[in-house]
Amino acid sequence: MNIYRLTGVAVGIFVGLIICAVLFRFANTNKKLKSEYDERQRAIRNLAYKYAFYTVMFYEVLMLVLGIGNVQIPAPAYAIHFFGIILGCTVLGVYCVWKDVYWGMNNDRKRYIMVFAVAIALNLIPVIASIMGGSFITDGQVNMPVINFMVLMMLFALFVTFILKHIVDKRENET
Amino acid sequence: MKNLRMKSARAAKDMSQEELAKICNVSRQTINAVEKGDYNPTINLCIAICKALDKTLDEIFWIQ
Repeated sequence: MNIYRLTGVAVGIFVGLIICAVLFRFANTNKKLKSEYDERQRAIRNLAYKYAFYTVMFYEVLMLVLGIGNVQIPAPAYAIHFFGIILGCTVLGVYCVWKDVYWGMNNDRKRYIMVFAVAIALNLIPVIASIMGGSFITDGQVNMPVINFMVLMMLFALFVTFILKHIVDKRENET
Repeated sequence: MKNLRMKSARAAKDMSQEELAKICNVSRQTINAVEKGDYNPTINLCIAICKALDKTLDEIFWIQ
């Protein structure tokens, strides 16, 4: 057990949570941390959380079975577990966007877009730096920036869903 | 089933979905979903919509 590394990760998560709290308070019109939703949005989000939960359960069971079968995955354990979290978050986000639950009642849209831009930049920098430095994959194993890469993939999936939803809505309104 | 009576009542008051949503304290997408028949609102939202459109529950939501 590397106590320094564990402390570093714990401090990193704590600082990350504080940054998220500050950004979300900035992005909400009433300066509250949580987004507020109406009754339809809450119902949709409840379903989205259910589907996200099932997805993570299915993924973890799959990883469990692969682990018992001694199937080697070229990624460290933290990346494998983080992928499960990202998969759940993606299902939650995509379902919500597809069902028209992307803006809360107290969300300042322009500020939220700014927060997303900051999130993309913060995740893009370590990925580009590691690819340029040749440390993204070493000895056949992906390294820490793979976490940022997964976050970027999730944001990309949300963006694609948003565009597709926009096209579908436009077609429906025309007919 | 589409709620055309709600849509026409809103149009008669020259109100956009966004404006009605603001009065009822819900999102525009929720008003759109109610009008399209994709979402069955709770009685509280039905009352809020009726009050905003100066109509009764029967006039807007009763199915013949």
